[in-house]
Amino acid sequence: MGSSRRLGLLFLAPAFVMVVLFFFAPTVLTGVFSFTTMSTSTGIYGGDYFVSEDALRRLASEGEDQLAQQLAGTSYKIDSAGIEAVRVGEGGAALADEIAATLAGQHFADQREAERAIKDLNSRPRSIRALKAVVEQFRRSVAGARFADKAGLYAAVEGAGITLDEAQKEALAGASWSGWHWTVQNFKRMATTPDNARILINTILYVGVTLALFHVGFALVIAIASHYLSETASGIFRGIWLLPRITPSVLFVLLWKWLAWDTGFISRIAALFGAAPRNWMLDTAAHAWVFVVLINGFVGASMGMLIFSSAIKAIPAPLFHAAEVDGASHWQQIRFIILPQLRWPILFVACYQTLSLLASYEQILLSTDGGPGRVTEVWSLAAYHSALQNYAGNLLYGYGAALALVLVVIGVIASLLFLRLFRFKELVTQPRIEI
Amino acid sequence: MENRKNLRPAFWLLALLSLPLVLMYGYLVLDTVSTTKPGALLPDHFTFQHWRFLWERDAQGVSIWSVTLNSVIFAGSVTLIALSLSLTAGYALSRLNIPFRRHLLAMVLVLHAFPSVTLLVAIFIVLQMIGLYNTLIGVILVFAALQLPLGIWLMKGFYDGVPWEIEMAGLQDGASRFTVWWRLVLPQIRPAIAAVGVFVFITGWAEYVTPQVLAPSGNTQVLSLYLAGLISNDQHFDFALFKSVGLFYIAPVLVFYAFTHKALMSIYGGGTKG
Amino acid sequence: MLETRLGRLVRPARRALCVAAVAAAFAGAAAHAEEMTVSVWAGGTGDADMYRIDAIKMAADILSRQEAIKGHELKITVEGKPYTDWDQFKQAVTLAGQAGSGPNIVVTGHEDIASWAQSGLIVPVEDYLDLDAWPISDIYPNLLKIASFNGKIYGLPQDAESRPLFGWIPHLKKIGYSDSDIAALPGRIEKGDYTLYDMLNDARKMQDAGLVQPGYGFYPRVSNGPDYWQFYVAFGGKMQDEKTGRLELDKAALEKMYQFFIDAVKMGVTRKNHIGTPWDQWYTEVATGKAGFWDGGTWHYARYTGKEGLKDFFGSLMFSLIPAGEKGGVANTLTHPLVYLVTKQKDEHLQEVASQLVAIASEPRINALHAIKSAHLGISRSEAHIGFYADDRWTREATERLLPHAVAMPNNTHFGTYWDVMWKGLQTAWQGQSSASDAVNAVASELQGSLGDAIIIN
Repeated sequence: MGSSRRLGLLFLAPAFVMVVLFFFAPTVLTGVFSFTTMSTSTGIYGGDYFVSEDALRRLASEGEDQLAQQLAGTSYKIDSAGIEAVRVGEGGAALADEIAATLAGQHFADQREAERAIKDLNSRPRSIRALKAVVEQFRRSVAGARFADKAGLYAAVEGAGITLDEAQKEALAGASWSGWHWTVQNFKRMATTPDNARILINTILYVGVTLALFHVGFALVIAIASHYLSETASGIFRGIWLLPRITPSVLFVLLWKWLAWDTGFISRIAALFGAAPRNWMLDTAAHAWVFVVLINGFVGASMGMLIFSSAIKAIPAPLFHAAEVDGASHWQQIRFIILPQLRWPILFVACYQTLSLLASYEQILLSTDGGPGRVTEVWSLAAYHSALQNYAGNLLYGYGAALALVLVVIGVIASLLFLRLFRFKELVTQPRIEI
Repeated sequence: MENRKNLRPAFWLLALLSLPLVLMYGYLVLDTVSTTKPGALLPDHFTFQHWRFLWERDAQGVSIWSVTLNSVIFAGSVTLIALSLSLTAGYALSRLNIPFRRHLLAMVLVLHAFPSVTLLVAIFIVLQMIGLYNTLIGVILVFAALQLPLGIWLMKGFYDGVPWEIEMAGLQDGASRFTVWWRLVLPQIRPAIAAVGVFVFITGWAEYVTPQVLAPSGNTQVLSLYLAGLISNDQHFDFALFKSVGLFYIAPVLVFYAFTHKALMSIYGGGTKG
Repeated sequence: MLETRLGRLVRPARRALCVAAVAAAFAGAAAHAEEMTVSVWAGGTGDADMYRIDAIKMAADILSRQEAIKGHELKITVEGKPYTDWDQFKQAVTLAGQAGSGPNIVVTGHEDIASWAQSGLIVPVEDYLDLDAWPISDIYPNLLKIASFNGKIYGLPQDAESRPLFGWIPHLKKIGYSDSDIAALPGRIEKGDYTLYDMLNDARKMQDAGLVQPGYGFYPRVSNGPDYWQFYVAFGGKMQDEKTGRLELDKAALEKMYQFFIDAVKMGVTRKNHIGTPWDQWYTEVATGKAGFWDGGTWHYARYTGKEGLKDFFGSLMFSLIPAGEKGGVANTLTHPLVYLVTKQKDEHLQEVASQLVAIASEPRINALHAIKSAHLGISRSEAHIGFYADDRWTREATERLLPHAVAMPNNTHFGTYWDVMWKGLQTAWQGQSSASDAVNAVASELQGSLGDAIIIN
């Protein structure tokens, strides 16, 4: 008992750690993210209180427009508090005295003006960074400033001569917080975006058609046909059909484009018959779908092909001999000998590949990128687009996570169903040695 | 077989369906050593200039060989890690008496349903917490982990096929479970090890998205990224060069495949039984 | 070899040590030689754009000489990393920035400023630079404005460009334009006298005369890009409300813009499936007279006359602003400057040095190297007075004719979402999956749902 169990745990531990680190933790995190506003602009870790123009706009839209107006605009005032701060700070006494003598009491509406005034002084700081630090001492406004915590924010607002009540404090802190916050907006957005219904249908269509035609259907055709062909011929065909699997998708997809582009091979052949060149891959929605299915199907067919081939090989030869003696045609052999034997492999491939297809997007990303329009956009590609691609550098982690979570849920439900279908208990025989 | 004539249609059907692949790969090879006039079907000029990347560095001073070495390290390490962990975990799940065995096994299959690529941002955070973001080691670990569900599942299937008698005999001779596994069981599944190894290596060799997102600084550039970079934007688009680098990229895999395809075939014999 | 590999594996750790060492050195006596590593990542950077990084290297040399004269020994190592691809670059910068292992300086499109400034990924260079001092005082104010967010200058423009309309002169002549007509065309376009639809008609004439293939009369950009906003602006659209800083969607203008592409397809002068055409095919075709009109970029000059071998650029190509959509409308062009941005670092001194490097790299002589090499436009007034720059007819003419009319995309955190949805809508309309008004309505409802108040829809 002890030794087997100890070794078992030991053997399982490394894989378990990896799985926890790179499957479970990310899934849990994704679940968490999906309830946040997280994006590049909020950052992932923490945040600060940033009284930006956007924040003031949010404040105004929450009914605090008066406060927003008060907070807007910058002002710099050369007062004694500021001068003292300069004296004890980096600026030094000489500068503080000179400021007191020449600029005391002056107002500046703009940081750059205040800088210019101080820059003209004889004892101005040598570096620009120090100069900015000195000017900062005279800032009497909060617009455009960032604060690490609420206390700093409130103090600065008070320093600017604005008193806040508790509600206003909360509103200001909420509006100016630059980090993420909790929300269910992602799910609302997901449910209300009309495109998403179509993307869901696309996904079902894509998985179903590719699976039926290629991953299972075509794989069966090759496996069965190559069973009847000579060893050399079937080896060659299997080799050819393995090529897509071992070719990196970047290259494989480009080969399809080479076939389908305006100047591609199909167009060149068609030109011989006088047809105008066109982009066969993106010409219409139907074209795009055909290519998406073909590209993914060609890649995926190999797995089924290999599984079915080896399953057919495992069928005892006497069965076939007997059938031939009885005069059964090839078709009858397929119908009554091969297919019944392939029931489980077919089911396995169907289940396994359904899950693979649900999560796959790389080939579509590289070929049609969901186009033309959005007709070939599938769910996982939409998740990738949201979370990892944005034209203006703002990756939407939260929304992308919500989209990804849907896939996780579908995938888990589907695989649990498959496990039932497989009569999973039968697969797991108890170990016979209990040491 | 007497009715071999009836097979002609099957042969031609397969040939026809394979035609796109034959054309694509045929022209891939052809185009790397020739130039074709726009619109023409056949090349008119033989040249080796598309292969100059072999001895010249690119404009950024990157040599193809250092990128290739990265790819070898990447795919090799992924194979090593994924294979060892699948071997141990698969054995534990197949033969050893561990708690929640059934649940763990079900979990392995469910794991496959996790769309790992869409979890990339979260994986990034985990990597960053353990300090391995933007390192080759980090991507290797992540990608090896992504191979585990299939690897463990297949390995478990292969172990299931090993007769219990072998282990019984070993144990009766007084060997420990570990020694039995190491000395007696592993040799039994050597073909399976080769098959899963080859499979993982090929997958790692072709991987594109994980290194792109998780190790973007470029010091860890692998061939797939280098290749994609050749056609990535409007100013940087060289199809002929792309094809040559592409052929350079898959050639080792093709050679590798030629020697190992028997092993690869066996993956599916054992792996699906349970 | 193996050692360098291992070195790469442990690099982040080493970099952390480096930063610590620099900080320690700085805290200690400043008289010691100070060493620092400044990394520069540049997006969308091909072989012709390497001066984006090299300029920082030159600046580092100048800065350390200056410091040496002041008695402070400063050794700066610049590590450059060009990314040819934009997606990968943006993922890298944002994620590495989060991880604290990002670069010190990034070269990217100005539209990234809003999100990255909002999250604190980048810091305003204004905090470390004297705006009144040369060369910043000399940079075109509109470019500086494009590099600003929230009233602060976050980055310095690295290059300027614009996206003009090109026309193939030999074809224009064959459909009845005289030399003087062609010379006058840019002026007519500027005045709003010659519209986008006039252009489509001329394109149609070229096709009818057999000068170009069907679908090649108007042969626009083959992938999504800032160019497409020009057509929205041409029909009177605005991307942002100046007063409130909120994004703005003008449904009427967007519908007209979508309709324009639908009409172009209907007239047969643009192909329905044009988007997705490979770039190298496109370049070869436009540079060899296979197309009538197209929108390109000022930097295309380098490719047309270089790799594509176009000999007589000025004799073959008419270039102008993008015509107004309707008579009396406003012609425009869009400039999409890349900017040098400085990222937030634990050690503020690094930010300061990075800002200084960026300022030096923006000096006219250094910037002109990039401008001429990559056929981009200059960023400052004095750059136009440098012989090396002024002698180049293309940069001179393009600067004079196009830049004064250039608009830019807004720096707004939500602009990426807006762009994405606009582009989706354009594709569905262009490819005939929905009518212009349906597409616009779908755009409006999606934007309403995802952006709410952040966008004004009218």
